[in-house]
Order: sequence, then structure tokens, then C-alpha cells
Amino acid sequence: MVKFNKYVQIGPPAGTPAATQAAMDKLVQKYNNIVLVLEDMAMPFELDWFKKNAPERIVECGVAEANAAVIAGALAAEGFMPFVFGFTFSAIERAYNQIRQSILIDRFNVKLMARDGVWGDLGVSHDIVEGIGCTRVLPNLVILNAADVVEAEKAFLAMADYIGPVYFRMEYSAPNPMRIFTNDYPFEIGKAYTIKDGKDATIIATGYLVTEAIKAIDILEKDGLDVGIIDMSTLKPLDEEAIIKAAEQTRAIVTAENGTIIGGLGEGVAAILAENAPAALVRVGVEDEFAQSARLTSEKDELKDLFGLGAQDIAISVKEAIAKREKFKLTRKK
Amino acid sequence: MAHSPEVIQELTDKTKIIRQNILRIFEASRMGHCGGTMSLVEIVTALYFHHLKLDPKNYDWPERDRVVLSKAHAAEAIYAVLPEIGYVPKEALDKYYCYRSPFQGHADRWCTPGIDYSGGSLGQGLSFASGMAQAEKIKTAINPPDLHVSAGNMLRSIMSFNPLYRVFCIVGDGELHEGQNWEAAMFAGKYKLDNLICIVDYNKYCISGPVEQIMPLSPLDEKFKAFGWWVKEIDGHNLTEIVDTLDLANNLYGDGKPKCIIAHTVKGYGIPVWEKVHMHYGRAEGITIALKEGREIYG
Repeated sequence: MVKFNKYVQIGPPAGTPAATQAAMDKLVQKYNNIVLVLEDMAMPFELDWFKKNAPERIVECGVAEANAAVIAGALAAEGFMPFVFGFTFSAIERAYNQIRQSILIDRFNVKLMARDGVWGDLGVSHDIVEGIGCTRVLPNLVILNAADVVEAEKAFLAMADYIGPVYFRMEYSAPNPMRIFTNDYPFEIGKAYTIKDGKDATIIATGYLVTEAIKAIDILEKDGLDVGIIDMSTLKPLDEEAIIKAAEQTRAIVTAENGTIIGGLGEGVAAILAENAPAALVRVGVEDEFAQSARLTSEKDELKDLFGLGAQDIAISVKEAIAKREKFKLTRKK
Repeated sequence: MAHSPEVIQELTDKTKIIRQNILRIFEASRMGHCGGTMSLVEIVTALYFHHLKLDPKNYDWPERDRVVLSKAHAAEAIYAVLPEIGYVPKEALDKYYCYRSPFQGHADRWCTPGIDYSGGSLGQGLSFASGMAQAEKIKTAINPPDLHVSAGNMLRSIMSFNPLYRVFCIVGDGELHEGQNWEAAMFAGKYKLDNLICIVDYNKYCISGPVEQIMPLSPLDEKFKAFGWWVKEIDGHNLTEIVDTLDLANNLYGDGKPKCIIAHTVKGYGIPVWEKVHMHYGRAEGITIALKEGREIYG
């Protein structure tokens, strides 16, 4: 089993070229039907391998994302496994209807890799808050979001093994996350991972915010609170069982995500709680606004405070959730 | 290459059966995209009964020619053909628009044997067809066909060289307003998709009026030519012209050019009341009168 090895090391951002490259190294050996569908965005992985060994499997569509999404669907219809890479605003949102019509309706085996999340150097156009919300509503789509490099690599491999459309959300622009998982971490699509059990409250986080949640736990420990963390790496389908179990244990849930709280992880969890296991809930995320540019680390920290996504904010939200639980008179499972 | 009058006569007889089937579909459903369906009849008849490489026993044959119906609202034209090939039972004609029917409102790959593309959201079919054509190119690059022949029959072997499959894409004129078509045209030109044949059902009318008024398309041929396509304009209701042009397009395989056949058609062709009003979608009273008229003509 994986140990809760907090503060082991600060690694590179999850889903960086390093992680995807390592996974792709394995995949090109395993699958000979992988096709890269490019949108004038250099693939962060194995492009050179393909150029050298299988140039015919690079399909460059130019800056035409709508066309590229449909081309990917058609290639999948013919038995290939296309990887599309871009930003959420282009690869996903620009081609939203194309993904719906020409990929999802027929469950074509297309892997959509897109950069999402609010911290970034590229400004409001490229740093997307609504990536989770706008894709969660789409049937037949699996959404993955890795919290660290190890998970990114494992999620990437699992994504290829799964036959069907996947949106792999990559928070390239977020600060460097901790190295949370060790190599024996058993990743599975649709399974949340309980990093730590707690009895006072549970934080359900995804992506980079898992790192902030781990820091928040340290803060809360000093106040004598025992708080658990669940890493929700699959945003769709959500692991209902894990959410219900946590709700019954603590009756105080905080969700944390790098994106708008409207339509995101928080709302997904809220629906499951309301239907199955009422619990006090506080959602941490961007409050219905767009992102901004931030280049320096100090600026990114400033943005973190602005959007209320830091460890301190999560810690405050946990206390809020606990207070709500008392107010609502919700009782915990003994 | 001219065809014998017998072949054309046979196909003409087929169009009558297809029109009868379409009438049967509309009689059961009492509504449907009649205009764009009727304008397609000759084209799909020539494709399915003369041209396409397909296996009536296996609709999923990997080497079958693909048909991408981008104007998926005119699926009734293909629905009328499928029972004649044997992919679906003829009774399905009475189940158009129905729950669990193979004949969904718009062409649906998931529900209908013989449908290669789920359409409905216009302007994407040409991209999908280009993707399928590109897939054929990749497959052929990975597993090259055996061209090892002796010098003696070299010429014959070159002449009979064929793609693994061809992709036929049927687009409407109205949907050419969608910018994505031109992204696809650019893509097909770039990748020299000579295994792709796009047929434009140019019936000149959108839902709310003449295409040239809503958003002018002409000169359509020059638009495709500018993207590196081979283009030919034909009368889309003249079977001889359709069959000859499809043959010509086939024979040009290897020239590195995607093919576009602009078929000038009449919306609602074959039913005078529909032709007169350029009917797009028939329902209620209107369709009853038209169907009565259709039965008088086609029996």
C-alpha cells in the first residue's frame, strides 16, 4: 500500500512532459495504433519517436481544432487510438460540438489531452476555469485529473488501456505539486484514493489542490483537528462510494479544485451528498470569475490568495464545514 | 466510359423502388425531411446499386467503401436503400423516428447497420470523411499492398491498383455555410486524399429560402479547386451523368486530388408539390397531399 508520505519532495507539475513522456514510452511499445492528431501544438511527448519511427501516424491539422476533433473521431472509427493535444479553450471548447457529435455519441476511442486551470502565464484566454464543468455534462466521457507525477503517469497508462473517449485534464500552469504517491500506488479509473482518513472532516481534492489540501491538514493538525483527504483523480464518473463513506464518517466535507466551483467537482460531490448522505459542504474553487496572468512564483501565490485556493483557505473552509455540521446537527457514524 | 442503356434502365427502376420506400417511411411517420431526401435519390441509387464496394452479408466488412452522410437529416434516402441491400428488414421502414428503431431521426452509426457516420450537427461530415480517408492512407502505409508483379503484367496491375476502401461523403449545399467544411477541404488537399469523393447535393434551397440569398456559395467549383480538389459539375438527377462521373472519379485515383462532384438537384424532386415550394420538412396536412400525389406517380 501507499504510505501517506507528506512533504516527501516537491516534484514537477503533474502531467508535465516528463510524466506523459515516460508513459508514452511504454505505450508506443504496447499499442501500434496510436495516432497523434496535432493542432499546431507540439505534442509534449514522443513526437520525435513518431517522427523517426512512424511519421505516417502524425496527422497535423493546423490551427483548425474543430476539424481536428472530427478527424480524430474518424481515425478512431477506423481502429486507431488518436491523441489530441491542446488547451481546453481550443481543443475542447472550440470543438465542443464536434467532440459531442463525432466522438462521444459513438464512444470513439479518442484521448483528449488539454491544459486547464487558472494559474498561468498566458492570461485569461488560455487559463481556463470552466474545463471540468463544461465537460462533466457530456455523456460517454471519462475525465481524469492527476495530482502528481506518479499519478499522471499511471492515469495516462490507464487512459490508453480504457477503450473510449477520455479527457485528460492537465494543470501545466499550476505551481509544482508535492510528490504524493509512490510507484506502487494502485491507480484505477473511477476509484478515488483515500490518502488519509480523518474523523473531524474530509477534504475531497483533485489535481494540484491535493497538494494544498495536504498542507492544509498540517495547519489543522496544530489546531487539534483530524482531517482526511481523498484524491478524486477521476472527475467523471465520480467515486460515489468513497464520497458517501467520507460523508458518513465526518459529515463535514470540503471540496477543492483548480477551477470554477460552478459545475465542477464541488457540485458533483454536492449532488451525491444531497441524494445519499447529507453532510455539511464547503466548496473551494474559483468563485465565478476568469483567470489572470501570473509569471513569477510570488505572483502565482498572490493569485492563489486572490482566488482563495491556498492551504490557508482550505483550512478555513474545513473549520467552516465543521461549524456548519454543528449548526445542522448532523451526527457522525461511530 | 459510357454505360449500356440496360444498366441505366435498371438503376432507373431502382429509383422508383427507393421512392416507394421513402413514401412508405413518410406514410408511417407523417413527417420528415422530405426535400433534401428526394433530391438525393438518384445519387444514392447510383452509389449503392452500381458503385459501392460492399458485402450484403457483412455491413461491417473492413474493406467496404464508406459512406458519410454529412447532411444526416436526409437519412431517409439511405434508410430507403438499406432494406434493398438486406442490411435491415423492410418493416423497419415503418419505424422511422421510433424508439429502438434502426431508423433514427438523423443517421446514427450506433443504431443502424450500414451507416458509417452519426450526423445531424451539420458541417462535420467532410471532416469525418477526410479522417476516414486519411486512416486508409495510414493503414496502407503501415501495411503496403502487395505490388510485386512481373514486368509482363505490370501495366494491368497498375491500372487495377485500388485503395483499401474509398470514402464517399454526401454534403448539402446549405451546410457548406459551416466554416469547418473548408478546414476539411484544406486538410484533404494537404494529405492528397484521392480516395475521398465528396458529392454536393446542390438543391439550391436552405430551410428559409434560396441558398444564394441566405448566404451565397457560388462560385462553388472554384472554392473547391482552390483547395486542390478535382471538381466536376453534373445534373444530379441524370443517372447516366452520375454513373459516368463516379466512374471517372474512381479512375482518377492516384492523381493525389480529392474529388468533388457538384450535383445540381431539385429539392423535393419527383413530387410536384414539394418541388414547387422547395419543401424542407413535411408534416400534417401538407405531407398527406404530397404522399397521395407520390403514390399516384410511383405506385
